[in-house]
Amino acid sequence: MIDIARAEFFANLYWMKNNKGLLVAMVLWPYIMVALVMGLGYIFGSPEIYAARMGVRNPVLFMLSASVVAMSSVTIIDTVAGYTLYNRWLGTLNYILLTPIRTPRLLIAAGLPTALFSPAVTVSSVMPAVLYFEGLSGLVNLVLIYFIIILGMVPLLGISVIAASLLLIVKEESNIINSLVPFLLLVSGVFYPVGILPHALQLVARAVPVKYVVDAAKLVSALSTETGAALFTVLYILALMGVTYNLAAFLFVGRVDAKAKAKGVD
Amino acid sequence: MSGAAIKAEGLVKRYVTWARRGFFRKEKQIVEALKGVSFDVVWGEVFGLLGPNGAGKTTTVKIISTLLLPDDGNAWVAGYSVLDNPVEVRDRIGVVLSVERGFFWKLTGRENLRYFAMLRGLRGPELERRIDEVLETVGLKQLKGADKLYEEYSLGMKARLALARAMLHDPPILILDEPTLGLDPPSAREMRELLVRMARREGKAVMVTTHNMFEAEMICDRVAIISEGRIAAIGTVLELKKLVAGEVPVVVKFSGMLGDSLSRVEERLKHRLEISKLHVSETDGGFTARILVEAGLEERVVARTIDILTGMGFSVLRVEVAEPSLEDVFIAVTRRGGQGASKDD
Repeated sequence: MIDIARAEFFANLYWMKNNKGLLVAMVLWPYIMVALVMGLGYIFGSPEIYAARMGVRNPVLFMLSASVVAMSSVTIIDTVAGYTLYNRWLGTLNYILLTPIRTPRLLIAAGLPTALFSPAVTVSSVMPAVLYFEGLSGLVNLVLIYFIIILGMVPLLGISVIAASLLLIVKEESNIINSLVPFLLLVSGVFYPVGILPHALQLVARAVPVKYVVDAAKLVSALSTETGAALFTVLYILALMGVTYNLAAFLFVGRVDAKAKAKGVD
Repeated sequence: MSGAAIKAEGLVKRYVTWARRGFFRKEKQIVEALKGVSFDVVWGEVFGLLGPNGAGKTTTVKIISTLLLPDDGNAWVAGYSVLDNPVEVRDRIGVVLSVERGFFWKLTGRENLRYFAMLRGLRGPELERRIDEVLETVGLKQLKGADKLYEEYSLGMKARLALARAMLHDPPILILDEPTLGLDPPSAREMRELLVRMARREGKAVMVTTHNMFEAEMICDRVAIISEGRIAAIGTVLELKKLVAGEVPVVVKFSGMLGDSLSRVEERLKHRLEISKLHVSETDGGFTARILVEAGLEERVVARTIDILTGMGFSVLRVEVAEPSLEDVFIAVTRRGGQGASKDD
């Protein structure tokens, strides 16, 4: 597992080194997202209404944090669920499967560096804005949010691994990721309260880890004794989800792997 | 090392495909890619699996590499079963499936090798030493290509890097699927020399698939001809050539406008000459018909072929009675349904 994570970590590092444009895009992304959402928001209301509805003090700051959560979630889903697809397109999948690593371990460990890397880059990118609005205490909260995001990425890793293993056997590959990313973001309430969603989707949202990361981010930004207890509840839920989803993924990939080998992997 | 490096026994593989019948209806079709393929590869030899496109070469390679499970039969690599010990098999093979892709475009050759070496558990100075070694062996270090981005590589450099990756963990067995496909002649020659060196000097077992007869004849110690999922003949090039003893290859080069497909021209020639051991291919500036004729009948067949081709609107450029080659064996065994002296299935 460590060998895979190490290889993926260095591949990510080399990729960034050789793709400065990508790094710039990752840094700018939260700001572009906030500008877009704010721009649209001004058409229908005001930052005050938004702050009241979301239950946050500083809407800009919240949206920046939410963008970090969204960016990290999208990246992890894209990277892990798209791992099979991406490597198939490049022609590297067969060579990765030819190493003596078992597929379930490979798919789970391959996403770990991205789970750490992507939030680190986006969190760093919003640091200047947080420092400007909230000072040093905001920065401490942001670091706290970073660790919560990482905790939230673990169960998301499990969901993505299940999607990745499905891509080993189905042909309509990209459709899985194309529908998974918007759906998870829709029900996670990154930029709006989950309460405005239809009841059925609210129920689904309870099983989506990103929702709890957003909840935790809100609680951190208004940290007090009461919210502290609530925060721990959210963290427990995330940890439980992390174990459950990854265990399910491990078992699922094992079954799919045998099927994929019988069918042949291109 | 004792025993066979690779031993395939009765490999059968069926693929399920779905043919569309109308908008909603699909019909299940079963394609039998391998129909009981058996052969073995010994240590220190270059073994060629020769066959036309769709004959089952890649399927065989994938099964031996543990990327595909057979529906029946088994294969053993260095004594390990591909069904029961896939991890041990993967540890002992270096595989090249395609020379033109299979690497990360935005990483340099060296970075790509580092990635795959790490996946194999190599680390520290050992990792760098091994990467330097393989880069030197395949000549990428000398070409100063190691630190170029993969997207800037020529096809020849890509082929070298693919071989370098296959050798990273110093496997005793190399399996290469069409390793010279698309390479320019100098690169192809260097690749062949490298493979022969691996077998002769280092005692590795090298298995290559190809549909290039010239290549197979040049580098392979033994060749298996695979056709329609069966081994049609197996043996050394000399042994295989004996299969066409008493037959003479007549080579007719011709040019002209191809009104029909090449296979239609081949079919018409076969039909009118009443000879099944015949192959038409496209060559520089025209076409070549290679016809295996019973000794003594050459003159009659040549005259008849010229008549037929002229009648079809072609100009005959040259006629030659050649020495039997592996290509003739290939034409003979694949046209008569695998009746080889040492056929294997």
